[in-house]
Amino acid sequence: MIFQKPTAKIALENNEELADNYAPVNDEVETVVGPSVNVEGDFASEGNIIVKGSVAGSVHTSKFLSVEVGAKILANVRAGSAKVAGEVKGNMKIKEVLELDSTARVMGDIEAKTLIIEAGALLFGKVSMPGLEAGEKVTRSRGFGKKTEEVEPSV
Amino acid sequence: MYVYLYDNFLRQKKFESIVKALEVRLTDYGIAGKILRLANYTDAKQVIDEELKRGAKTIVIVGNDHTFGHVLSRAATCDCTFGFLPVGPENTIAGVLGIPVGVDACDILSRRLKERLDIGWMNNRYFVSQLHVLPAKVKVIYDERFAVSANDKMEVVVCNLQPFFWKKNQKDREDNVVHPQDGKLEAFLRPLTKKGWWGYKYEEPSIFPFEEMEIVGAEPFTVEADGKVSKELKVKIKLAHGKIDMVIGRNRKF
Repeated sequence: MIFQKPTAKIALENNEELADNYAPVNDEVETVVGPSVNVEGDFASEGNIIVKGSVAGSVHTSKFLSVEVGAKILANVRAGSAKVAGEVKGNMKIKEVLELDSTARVMGDIEAKTLIIEAGALLFGKVSMPGLEAGEKVTRSRGFGKKTEEVEPSV
Repeated sequence: MYVYLYDNFLRQKKFESIVKALEVRLTDYGIAGKILRLANYTDAKQVIDEELKRGAKTIVIVGNDHTFGHVLSRAATCDCTFGFLPVGPENTIAGVLGIPVGVDACDILSRRLKERLDIGWMNNRYFVSQLHVLPAKVKVIYDERFAVSANDKMEVVVCNLQPFFWKKNQKDREDNVVHPQDGKLEAFLRPLTKKGWWGYKYEEPSIFPFEEMEIVGAEPFTVEADGKVSKELKVKIKLAHGKIDMVIGRNRKF
């Protein structure tokens, strides 16, 4: 094979530095709950969690939680940020961003800083966001900004 | 003083040249020492303890993953520095430790960059590379907080230093690799589902990093740790922090 043309594959094999850069993406270890696996109890992890099976109890991570299509969570969830494409029955408290895909089904209250809901997602529950409290005083302006008056909310 | 523990397979003629090259390089560096050959039934701990009494400071394992596991699972508690010269096939741990296979490993040994490694503890013994529970109906309890079960049989692999290779199915040509990280043990659970009348099919693995876990089975299940096979009903696995003082390479993966 002396006269073989250098193909991309051979070039990659010859260049160790390049080959290192093309390492497989699934090299990182994180917690993965595979399909047909059932988790029961207080499920907590320090890293990212990917759920493809079912979880009952409670889920807690300070980082990212991904609930894949077909996954079922019957638990209260606390996470740094989350993306839901499966089913969640329980309250969700997300520090940063919560994203609901079109296949998501959420039955429970949601508390998140940022909420993104794709068309088709099903949600049954109360949504609350930090920065806008229920008992907050509403500032109403009268006239053209000349005089302001604080009014207690009627609800 | 250095003591070198050679695996039995290095007697084969095909390894003659590489072993000779290793010995030459070690002599060049001035770190050549006593050579002992391990047989199948040699108790590594006893051998190492005797050598330590005679003044040995560094024990160097020469062989592959099996040799590494065989020696360190028994001699983990010995108070000395360990080195590793990987030779021949089946050397996956060497890559994790950043040690090249062959003569170049001598350069790493001579540099003596040391690190304390964590190892796994199972029931009453240590394991260094991997613990494997063959497919059985088992339940896994993590850190006494949550339990993981499957509908049918489940295969459990706990990795300490040895990376975990798996294929999605039989047609999958490339192995998927997960490199273990230090400070945690990684458990890979692969449930089996019935396929047709006879066969079983492996599902995608679940991955759980942990420090303590328990595997409980209704019936005795087979456990293989560093090549030693036993039948157990309950296995408690823990991480023992910083047990082994080891010479490693700069390109280590942790």
